[in-house]
Amino acid sequence: MPIRHDRKVSILDVMGPVMVGPSSSHTAGTARLGRVAREILDEDPLEVHFYLHSPLAATYRGHGSDFALVGGAIGLNVDDPRIPEAIRIAEQMEVKIEFSEEDLGEVHPNTVHIQTRGPNREVEIVGSSVGGGVIEVFKINGFQTRFKGDSPTLLLFYRDRPGMIAEVANIIADEGINIASLYCSRKQRGKDAFMQVDVDSPLSKAALQRICSLTDVADARYLDRIP
Amino acid sequence: MIESFKHLEELAVDRDLADVFLKTDSEEHGVPAEDILEALRKRREVMRDCIVRGKSGGGESMGKLVGSEARLLNDAFLKGKTFLDPLTVKAEIYALSVMGENSRMGVIVAAPTAGAGGIVPGMLMALEEERHVDPERTVRALVVAGGIGSIIALSANISGAAGGCQNEVGVASSMGAAGVVYMMGGDTQTAIQAAALALKNTLGLVCDPVGGLVEVPCVKRNALFAVHGLTAAQLALAGVKSVIPMDEIVEAMVRIGRALPRGLRETAEGGLATTETGRAIAQRLKDEANKRRAERAAERERMAQERKATGATGS
Repeated sequence: MPIRHDRKVSILDVMGPVMVGPSSSHTAGTARLGRVAREILDEDPLEVHFYLHSPLAATYRGHGSDFALVGGAIGLNVDDPRIPEAIRIAEQMEVKIEFSEEDLGEVHPNTVHIQTRGPNREVEIVGSSVGGGVIEVFKINGFQTRFKGDSPTLLLFYRDRPGMIAEVANIIADEGINIASLYCSRKQRGKDAFMQVDVDSPLSKAALQRICSLTDVADARYLDRIP
Repeated sequence: MIESFKHLEELAVDRDLADVFLKTDSEEHGVPAEDILEALRKRREVMRDCIVRGKSGGGESMGKLVGSEARLLNDAFLKGKTFLDPLTVKAEIYALSVMGENSRMGVIVAAPTAGAGGIVPGMLMALEEERHVDPERTVRALVVAGGIGSIIALSANISGAAGGCQNEVGVASSMGAAGVVYMMGGDTQTAIQAAALALKNTLGLVCDPVGGLVEVPCVKRNALFAVHGLTAAQLALAGVKSVIPMDEIVEAMVRIGRALPRGLRETAEGGLATTETGRAIAQRLKDEANKRRAERAAERERMAQERKATGATGS
């Protein structure tokens, strides 16, 4: 049997997205990666640093990946006609932008490591644009994960302790919401931990409030589907 | 989930192929079938807008390597100076139109990627016009094309970086061929055969874009492979079958993609990109980019100085 990655891609993912050209992996996918960083940050960034994996560093400029990454990082959609102007817009917003090259190891050629900082938060993600605008973020703030931005998602940063997963799952169950997938990782037993909960339908503000007020939760971020 | 093309064939016996895809995709991703159709109706409109803008207007691409192709062919067609049949010529014009828009950073539909985004609209929109197909049937053909792509995507990354141009243009012509069969009233088996014939005959196609831009050879390649897809559909509709089944063709595509050297997978470090002309163009692009960067830096410096000056007088 051949090795399959069983990446479940929907019809609308294949026959889309509607996007600003010229490259779905270099423009649309990269814009979405920038957008993930912006959505987790949840405020206008002061500074964004893009570390491009070597193969992407070789090709990004010609495809407008620089406009796209910056466009996403300041909150533009992949089909926003202002994407070609994104760097200028970022300059007007006085966002400090930097690009550099980094060897990110055995990963997809189109992988980028993004560090962004706003007045209140700092966010760091590593993700790949795997083709046709589809993305896979596999690191968020240093935690291993698997985030595709194709469903509503709860990101939780907390102190590792018994019962946390059950408490979060219960609050979501109380809402009558189905959990599609769950990823947990931690830096050390009893120390900083991370939970990613992909849900089938939107989570209410009240539920998010309840989750935020759980003991040992440091930060909770709720993200809609990344457009 | 539809696991394979073999599975699809079993599942779709005596059923409408678009209905089969709509039902499974809807269950799998929790999106109502009507929402999928509505989104695709809008995407068909985006495709049509691209074609209208691209064939009449045009203009230089970002890298200034392409831009006038759609207009040239359209002008020749309108003057009666083309020798191929209208369906074929229109498929070429429309594929070139979309790719021209794409190269100018216009809004397009990635189908399945931007770099191969002219093929499906080229084939389907030309057929819709020439055979007076109900636009709603085109929308359902987009479901079929997308469904075919989603099965391929279970095994393959749909990007030139992963497996060369076969993974983009090859997949697009395969999807489009199945869509055309559907529009022409062919059954599921025939649609899969068309997809197989189209994909099989793009295997090994490398991704070697000049200067790393989606311009050369991408724009014209979309026109040529739109016709390739139409031909595959024609063969399948006449009963011609691929000896190698579609699932095995996809497997072969993945293996070939892995065997391709890095230089032929979108890095612009081989093939056409490293020909004498390719290198000269890459150098020009690099020089221009450096010049633009220097200008931007100077502009920033000037703005900072201005702010300083106004700040000083203000206080």
